[in-house]
Amino acid sequence: MNELIKLDDVSIGFGKTPIIRGIDLTLTSGQFWGVIGPNGGGKSTLLKTVIGLTEPLAGSFKIKEGLRFGYVPQHEKYDNLFPVSVEEMVTMGRYSMVPFSKKLKQEDREAVRISIEKTGITNLSNKVFRELSGGEKQKVLIAKAICGNPDVLVLDEPTSSLDLKGEAEIMSLIKDLKDELNLTVIMVSHFADTIRKYADSIILVDKDKDILLNCGIDDAVSNQHIKRYFGLQS
Amino acid sequence: MLVAAFAGAICGFMGVYVVLRRVVFVSAALTQVAGFGVVLTFYLQSLFLSSLVSHIDPFIFSIFVTVLAALFFSLKKDYMPISMEGVIGFTFLISSSLIIILSDKIVQGHHEIHNILFGSAVVVEPDEVIIVPLVSIIAFIINILLFKDFIFVSYDSETAQLYKYPVKYINLIFFIVLAVILAITTRALGALTVFSLLVLPALSSMYLSRRLIIIFILSAVFGLLSAVFGYFFSFIFSLPTGATMAFAASLIFIFSYIKHELFNNS
Repeated sequence: MNELIKLDDVSIGFGKTPIIRGIDLTLTSGQFWGVIGPNGGGKSTLLKTVIGLTEPLAGSFKIKEGLRFGYVPQHEKYDNLFPVSVEEMVTMGRYSMVPFSKKLKQEDREAVRISIEKTGITNLSNKVFRELSGGEKQKVLIAKAICGNPDVLVLDEPTSSLDLKGEAEIMSLIKDLKDELNLTVIMVSHFADTIRKYADSIILVDKDKDILLNCGIDDAVSNQHIKRYFGLQS
Repeated sequence: MLVAAFAGAICGFMGVYVVLRRVVFVSAALTQVAGFGVVLTFYLQSLFLSSLVSHIDPFIFSIFVTVLAALFFSLKKDYMPISMEGVIGFTFLISSSLIIILSDKIVQGHHEIHNILFGSAVVVEPDEVIIVPLVSIIAFIINILLFKDFIFVSYDSETAQLYKYPVKYINLIFFIVLAVILAITTRALGALTVFSLLVLPALSSMYLSRRLIIIFILSAVFGLLSAVFGYFFSFIFSLPTGATMAFAASLIFIFSYIKHELFNNS
């Protein structure tokens, strides 16, 4: 397993206010990393720091050169005023390969079509994104994220607004894409059971206790902080 | 009418961004800043008749201050702790109040100042017949070349940042293009008219279509029609031109709303 991302004594936070200090974390390839923790605990901030959207406040932060991210933010962040079609939305995911002021080529159109097909949303491609259900929106955002041939798929609470059936469908899609495209997955969730079921390794983020734990799923079961979080120990 | 047609079309087109980016009042503030630029030039010329100031073109100076304000808006959030709405409100109010204060002190140029505030377009300066269509065409070309980038940054700036797009640079280009258009069209049509042509055609087209590209095309056409019909009917019925254009844009908006309600909610 290759080292993809390494954080050494990193502090993260909003603006200049640190949420968590002294993070040591090494993310390796081919793993499904589950990031869990209470609301407001710093999960999303950690995620944004890891993919380079937010600068760490202190410490050393290294990303493997040429590493490509596919990012699935929470769908509520998209402004419903914009009448963007599903195809247009997925096409934006391809812009990682189409720099500023350059036009899409035939191969880019083909990549959009394949991403739509892989995520099973061909029937939605002409619909308007804002008019879709929560589950459909997540599939579109996943199609968008894989359209730029990423090495790492990063998801911010992709099942938070879904029922159990919708959650199972999305998680199964993520797992299938991980295997088929040989992706590393980093997924934030506040559903501990989901993470426990799908992740290979767990990162527990909790600003109140000022901890950030990182361990494999087997070790997690015996770790007292994570056991407490999973409700396995009082 | 040529000036009005080009101004209407480009304002209609850019208005879609203005509405979708929820910066409607940025355009209101910039139109006031453009007006303030012209009034300030006249005021300075009235103070220093024999100096270099008398050679400053109100048109050029207006573009200059509007672009400065646009730069301020596009960079604002990085260094000011107050909200964007607060900054926009402040800019709108100080520009509007200075227009009124300075215009009260100016003897020459009263007619021009009235046109800036309420619109004229009946008699435009000879240079405007060339400048407004020329700048409009350049703005359309920039928009066509950077359409993908403007939409991407407007809708999903976070992903754009992740993909190493120059988000600040693209926003800067967008606001400069908007500022130059507002400055030249405000001089020709007036602040009220330009604000109407930015907002109402975009809203009308959003009622009639759910396809982004169609919305842009419809909005440019509605802007053009509002300006041309407003000009035509103001001439026929001896009405104030700018206000008639704004009213024409309002009528299109009302018809679009009614059509949407009748055919989409049934």
